[in-house]
Amino acid sequence: MNVLFAIVIALAAVSALGVVLSRQTIYSALSLVLTVGMLAVLFLLLDAQFLFAVQLIIYAGAVMVLFVFIVALLSPDDEDRPTLDLRAIIGILGVLVVTGLVFVAARNGITYNTNGFHAVAVGSGSNPYHTFSFPPNAVDNAGNVQTVAGQLFTNYILPFEITSMLLLVAAIGAVYLTRRSSE
Amino acid sequence: MLNPNLFPYLLGLAAFLFTVGAMGVLIRRNPIVVFMCIELMLNAANLALVAYGRFLNSEEGQIFAFMVIVVAAAEVVVGLALITQIFRLGRELDVDDLSEMKE
Repeated sequence: MNVLFAIVIALAAVSALGVVLSRQTIYSALSLVLTVGMLAVLFLLLDAQFLFAVQLIIYAGAVMVLFVFIVALLSPDDEDRPTLDLRAIIGILGVLVVTGLVFVAARNGITYNTNGFHAVAVGSGSNPYHTFSFPPNAVDNAGNVQTVAGQLFTNYILPFEITSMLLLVAAIGAVYLTRRSSE
Repeated sequence: MLNPNLFPYLLGLAAFLFTVGAMGVLIRRNPIVVFMCIELMLNAANLALVAYGRFLNSEEGQIFAFMVIVVAAAEVVVGLALITQIFRLGRELDVDDLSEMKE
């Protein structure tokens, strides 16, 4: 299990670098497909089966196909490899510093407190993560899709409806933007 | 049973993906690649949400990640429509050259 996590995390990180550093746009798009796929695997490993399916269908299926389609349609020129100027150096430093800080903070368990979460205390006090696990009655009995849908259609029904409005507005906006002007 | 010590690595990966995406937005000039980097940042947020939800024993993280995916899909549709329109105007695809809104 840990080996699988290590491989997936490493592939996601490398392919994310490929998105930024590839000279040809199509290689960036294909690297992003790999990143999105690796995140889908991580969702599956994190017991988020519904999001795994959504990630593959919407991201890898719809969004990335749209990207590849636009790249093939527009065929943009190759870009020069990003030079190591001040902006790039600040960016690399930012990546290293922020990643390191977040990792250290998460490792020492200071990124959250447990108040307000329905956590089950089963572990030792020294490792805060031992105290958390999915309640067996919630996920094992109902399944991930049922638990997510139960929340989505009760507590979060209003945001859910608003996202449907957002999708409608985006579809109308895309049709409006890509129409041929009629002069 | 998931190893609890994995959580810092997942959050570190999320931070890495987000900052790499932000760096890509800064240093790349092709608007299509800039959009891909924005997708990378949204995916990093999704990973952090799902990881927190998993380790804090809550399914709310997955719900917000679902919302983020919807917003990302809407954003891509509008953004790529804009890029095709810019291309149709016969402009070079370079974000540094697109300054009509400034004047």
